[in-house]
Amino acid sequence: MIEMKGLRTSASLRVTVLVALLISGFSVISLSVQYLQVRSELARSQINDLQADLDAYSALYDQRRIPALRQAMEFRATARPTYDYVYLLLDKKGQVLAGNIPEWPAGLAPIGNGFQTDPIAEFEMTTPDNHTDAYIGVARDLPGGFPLLVAHSLSRQTQLLTDLRRRIFYVALGMSALSILGGWMVSRLVLGRINRINRLADKVAQGDLDARIPGPQTPDEFGALENHLHYMLDRIGALQKSTSDLSDAIAHELRTPLNRIRQRLDELDADDETVIALEAELQSTVAIFDALLDITAAEAATGSQPGLKPVCLSDICQNVFDLYEPLAEDRHLEMTCALPPDLWVLGDTNLIARLLANVLDNALKFTSSGDTVHLSLVPSGMYYNLTLSDSGPGLPKGLQDRAFERFTRGDQVDTVPGHGLGLALVKAIALRHGAKLRIVPDKKGFAVETRWPKLEQL
Amino acid sequence: MTQVLIVEDDPVSSRVFERTARDLGGEPTTAATYDRGLELATTGSFDLIVIDRMLPGGDGVDAIAKLRLAGSNALILVVSALGRSANKIEGLEKGADDYLAKPFDPEELRARMQSLMRRVTIQTSDNDLIAFGDLEIRRKARTVHFGIDHVPVTPKEFDLLCFFAINADATVTRMQLLENVWNLHFDPQTNVVDVHVGRLRRKLEEASGRSYIQTSRGAGYMFLPQIAVSA
Repeated sequence: MIEMKGLRTSASLRVTVLVALLISGFSVISLSVQYLQVRSELARSQINDLQADLDAYSALYDQRRIPALRQAMEFRATARPTYDYVYLLLDKKGQVLAGNIPEWPAGLAPIGNGFQTDPIAEFEMTTPDNHTDAYIGVARDLPGGFPLLVAHSLSRQTQLLTDLRRRIFYVALGMSALSILGGWMVSRLVLGRINRINRLADKVAQGDLDARIPGPQTPDEFGALENHLHYMLDRIGALQKSTSDLSDAIAHELRTPLNRIRQRLDELDADDETVIALEAELQSTVAIFDALLDITAAEAATGSQPGLKPVCLSDICQNVFDLYEPLAEDRHLEMTCALPPDLWVLGDTNLIARLLANVLDNALKFTSSGDTVHLSLVPSGMYYNLTLSDSGPGLPKGLQDRAFERFTRGDQVDTVPGHGLGLALVKAIALRHGAKLRIVPDKKGFAVETRWPKLEQL
Repeated sequence: MTQVLIVEDDPVSSRVFERTARDLGGEPTTAATYDRGLELATTGSFDLIVIDRMLPGGDGVDAIAKLRLAGSNALILVVSALGRSANKIEGLEKGADDYLAKPFDPEELRARMQSLMRRVTIQTSDNDLIAFGDLEIRRKARTVHFGIDHVPVTPKEFDLLCFFAINADATVTRMQLLENVWNLHFDPQTNVVDVHVGRLRRKLEEASGRSYIQTSRGAGYMFLPQIAVSA
């Protein structure tokens, strides 16, 4: 099924079929036009032959009337005993006077009385040697009541056209095969170059910014495109490095003086409320700073597999659940979990634990005594659905769309500690792992679900 | 005396490291650049190296492999402004024995240096049994007894108690517990660790009638088996 879908969506196949159809179609149309011309020419030639025959009979008739016709027909019947041409002359009573067939063809009525091909008749008749054949000819009533038939067989023309049609069929078949081969070669040539670029794009999408198209670049449009891509990647790599260096530099240049402040505070009276408050503010500032850097780092690494390794999602969930469960119990919350063992994903243990800690911490912050908190991990197709739900008040209206944005906080700013970065980091970590994140609708309280690609799918 | 090498270019931090090393009974030697630090570390005999990362001349974490190649068995504490979880994990994976982010609480620094210096001076016992008077911890069976009474603890509480026992009489910070017991390298910003320690403390008190775990204000906890007071 997947292979069929792949074929249907294959540009290579489409190009091949398109080229084949165009060449075959053009060939068939030209051959058909030629066929029609030949058929028309053959028909005209047949009528000319017939007219020539009629002209000869007409000349004889002008000289000596019926006896001359009768004599000529008898001579021809003796000289050429075939039925390519048939001719017959009857008397007033319908008795045969001359000709190479014994009787007048059934159903054919004489029309007109001249020696012209118009009007002309097409008919079938069985010859004395028992062949049924199609004929074209004229049936006339000559003055005095003598019916005359002069007709030519169409069998040679029909045979010729049948042979021509067969040849056209074989030629069209050959042209189609050649055009499919040609189309395939063209598509291989073009798409082979495009696939080189696609393979590079795949590697870059997986986070390998150092990937490049191997081999020399050809001096054509594709080579120019590859060179442009390489140049863009060089630029992106340089920008990313400078961003990373800048983050490190900011970290160093900001944290070092903050550390000096922290150490100097320690030299003051440790019990002084101002000192304690300053220490807490300092810690809070660094926490915001770290969270922002973590979010940026996770977002920058989105879709990148390097740095991730197979980890047991079940174990990480259980570990973090065990960490928070006593705290929930102390707060008289009913905290439960359903975590099947041995569910593996490609990930970073510390980041996944951070994500879980943030959503659990969020749940504990916004629930109150008697509420429930439930953590579940459910295999679903190609994913593991990790859901944390609680029976708390849920998200305030208007916050649903912004819940995962940085610095988004609800109405309880004064009573609930935090900086509004927890869920933003959750989103960044989920994206980093290719996990889909959503707020589960139609649930009482708040429920957030992340869909983790199974390890075997990667 | 424990020989401590301090490689730090920031004079304020360097002074704090020196003071803490001396307070803990160590003999500090200082270097302010990567090259000087590496030279001292490979030519001298040090038990503990406290090293910064973004040093003039190089990254302290990169020096670890060179030190090991040079045959140094010193324990290494990285103290750096590169303080995100990912930086810590990178440092630990590259061979650091511990990692502390700047700005740091001096008590946190003290606890970590003390923990490492204890590892230098105390030969870690491979014995199954760790005993503090009547309090017996059997590591293989993962059981705790006080006298003949079994003290029921959860697996995590057992791991907590083992970490406390290894660091008996020394301050243990919340981050140390998170890193060593839960293998989590970030601060969850809530009192989750306190709740676990509180539960372990209550269980030990109920079994023994003594208070083994003391809160070290603002810093963490101390496991004091020899001077456990009556609860």
